[in-house]
Amino acid sequence: MQTSIGSIAERQTADRLAEGPVVPDAGLAVCIRGLSKHYVHPWTLRVTRGLDALDLDVRQGEVMGLLGPNGAGKTTTLKLLTGLLKPTHGRAWLMGEPVENTASRRSLGFLPEQPYFYDYLNGLEYLELAARLSGLPAAVARDRARHWLGRVGLGERPRLGLRKYSKGMLQRLGLAAALVHDPELLILDEPMSGLDPFGRRDVRDLITEQRERGVTVLFSSHILPDVEMLCDRVAIMMGGRLTRVATVGELVEDGAQAVEIRCAPGALLEIPQHWAGLVSRTQRADESVFRLEDEAQLGAVLGWLLQAGVQVRAVTPQRPTLESLFLAAAEAERERRLA
Amino acid sequence: MIPLLVARNTFREATRDRVLAGVVVAGLALLALTQAASSLAMGEGRRFTVDLGLSGISVLGLLVILLTGTSLVAKEVERRTIYNLLSRPITRPAYLVGKWIGFSATLWSVALLLGLALWGLIVLRGWGGHGLAVLEAVYLAGLELSVITALAVMFSALSTPVLSALYTLGFYVAGQWSYDLRMLAEKLPKEFGSLVGVIANLVPNLPLFNMRTLAAEGHPTTWLHLALASGYAAVYVACVLCLATAAFESKDFK
Amino acid sequence: MSPPAALDSRRRRFLTAWMAALVLGTGVFTLAGAAWRVLPHPQPLEELSYYPSGRFLEPATLGHAATAADLAWLRAVQYYGQHRATDNQFVRMGHVFDILTALDPAFLPAYSFGAFALAQEGRDFPAAERLMLKGLAANPTSGDLAFQLGFLYYVRPGGRDLQHAAEYFEQASRQADAPPQSARFAAFARQNSGDLTAAYELWSDIERSSPNLYLREIAQREMARIREALDRGHREQAMKRLTTPVVLLTGQP
Repeated sequence: MQTSIGSIAERQTADRLAEGPVVPDAGLAVCIRGLSKHYVHPWTLRVTRGLDALDLDVRQGEVMGLLGPNGAGKTTTLKLLTGLLKPTHGRAWLMGEPVENTASRRSLGFLPEQPYFYDYLNGLEYLELAARLSGLPAAVARDRARHWLGRVGLGERPRLGLRKYSKGMLQRLGLAAALVHDPELLILDEPMSGLDPFGRRDVRDLITEQRERGVTVLFSSHILPDVEMLCDRVAIMMGGRLTRVATVGELVEDGAQAVEIRCAPGALLEIPQHWAGLVSRTQRADESVFRLEDEAQLGAVLGWLLQAGVQVRAVTPQRPTLESLFLAAAEAERERRLA
Repeated sequence: MIPLLVARNTFREATRDRVLAGVVVAGLALLALTQAASSLAMGEGRRFTVDLGLSGISVLGLLVILLTGTSLVAKEVERRTIYNLLSRPITRPAYLVGKWIGFSATLWSVALLLGLALWGLIVLRGWGGHGLAVLEAVYLAGLELSVITALAVMFSALSTPVLSALYTLGFYVAGQWSYDLRMLAEKLPKEFGSLVGVIANLVPNLPLFNMRTLAAEGHPTTWLHLALASGYAAVYVACVLCLATAAFESKDFK
Repeated sequence: MSPPAALDSRRRRFLTAWMAALVLGTGVFTLAGAAWRVLPHPQPLEELSYYPSGRFLEPATLGHAATAADLAWLRAVQYYGQHRATDNQFVRMGHVFDILTALDPAFLPAYSFGAFALAQEGRDFPAAERLMLKGLAANPTSGDLAFQLGFLYYVRPGGRDLQHAAEYFEQASRQADAPPQSARFAAFARQNSGDLTAAYELWSDIERSSPNLYLREIAQREMARIREALDRGHREQAMKRLTTPVVLLTGQP
């Protein structure tokens, strides 16, 4: 999105910040206020907004998912929190420390998207380096490195050079490096990326294990079923802006419940006019499937089918998936921008 | 502590690189070649050996810097391995200083290895009287390489590997001519002379680290020279790393 | 315009780094200046002076012998200027010009400049002669070089060598790049060395072929003088009394 600098939201944030220093709530692992990131083209001076006045809180011990299409600002947000990018406006705190202070990263474990490592090191050396750089003493770092290398399934060949690692092995090593110093906050950018179903299961188990230990997890992902399974709350981002934050349950409840009625193949029935748009039929080789968009009409529709002599085999509620909600939200955002 | 960790990692990276092994082998081969070719030098075999040996250390060291040193930081940015470091509680200055320490240590190792080989050779050939001068020249060559490494680290933090190599080479060449620039500054009209004088001070004063001719003649240098060269190298390196830090602090890793 | 994000610690580090760089930069300038003042400067030609011969240096330049010659030329000119302004001692000059011309045998100005500097300031005419002969051997068709050699013989300190001068002036006049005065100088040198017959022929050639009216008049005048001198049996009447060249170094210490 390209606009002039100084959106209304940013001015509001600036006014708020000008009132006095913001003290983040002690119970928050991540506190973001009015965080923006603009990119100015060096020749044309056109401004591109990577992130636009983001306000977001992540409570301690919570697992929050960041959802959004490519270019939504998810990675920008995570990089701003980890000090890899400098914000244009706004502020953020990690465990109460401003992100511009190095101390904010002491309890942080970060896994970047598609991580790369030093191919001249082996797995054990890399984890040991990661642990030492996070402040652990040498002996402790060595022990932790061994432990986590084994924990992510790479312990059998600790001296294997990283240039021989597969993509999945590198992803697991990256997770181990994020966890080796027992962080209180995990920030993971696409942690399931490049993994097969077994790898994804292992990562999910790791995240669950960390949550049970009280670690806060903030991660971005495109794999919506994983987000549904793991997250307490989900933040949906579109075009550099936060559009919605809610629990998965809240998001899903908002969607109307549909019902699928599977019947034996039989004579063709004409769907009554007053149900047009509400009831649809799909004819398959061995069954007829009626889809009812509003479950409130279930009784009436079932009565109509039974009266018509149709053999009903199954009635299945269709909960809206996060994917369908996400796609709907993306479409709504696209229409908003075009308008 | 953090700079030393980064330094140790950088030293490991450099010493596991095949380029370094090749350079050491080339340096030793050059020393062997000086003995084979010294008969052509018409009685100047000792001078030939010392000069070529010392020049070899400087030139091969420069080659290592241009091939490997100039991508020290740039490669990490390109490959995004830097994300794993800077997302930890380490400051960017500590990272850059660590890079410089690690790579300088690598070059000092090479210089000492080849320097000791040269010293051993001249002792074996019965030219032991030149030993002190040769060791002093190796020390100065090490200082020179440390200075150029600082420039390589700075350019590498700001630019791509190829451009960093070009900038570093440019400063190296200009640095070799810094005395000529000073002499030119004295001869030019005041305004131009001042400008040229400033340029002469900005480029590294590399002739200060060159006592190859003295060493070839077996003349040790003065303590004043060694002290001035050491002090200058320390201050120049610190200045360059501060500039690198200032620029690196503002860098976004998209 | 809304205020930027609070960047206290980052901005502090940025400003601190710049301030430290400025302070250290002052230290750099100071130490470099001290080194320049206090320590001996490397002599311009000492890095070349020990090479036994340019022949061994040429392979080391890896195909850049001409560039190396150019750099050596810069150094040689610097060396000349420095010593011309101070002690007029040119100990290494012959050796360096020998190396320079071995690196680039077609570097004609190096022969001329080097030879005249060696002959005059260097007071080493044999070295100057060797250098020019080396140049002619490498560039046999160079009229300019032949003329310069002729002139070198003509101004030889302690006594002009008119015979050799004439020989090389004549050689120069036969080349495509001959300086226009070559033939005249050849005739003049022959005449003043006593070889009136050869001189008469040379003047006759000039009188016949020169497009320059003034030159033809000179030729006619000299031919008349020679005829008159020979007729009277007084050869010396056709010869000018030339001064003996000496080395003049102005501003000697």
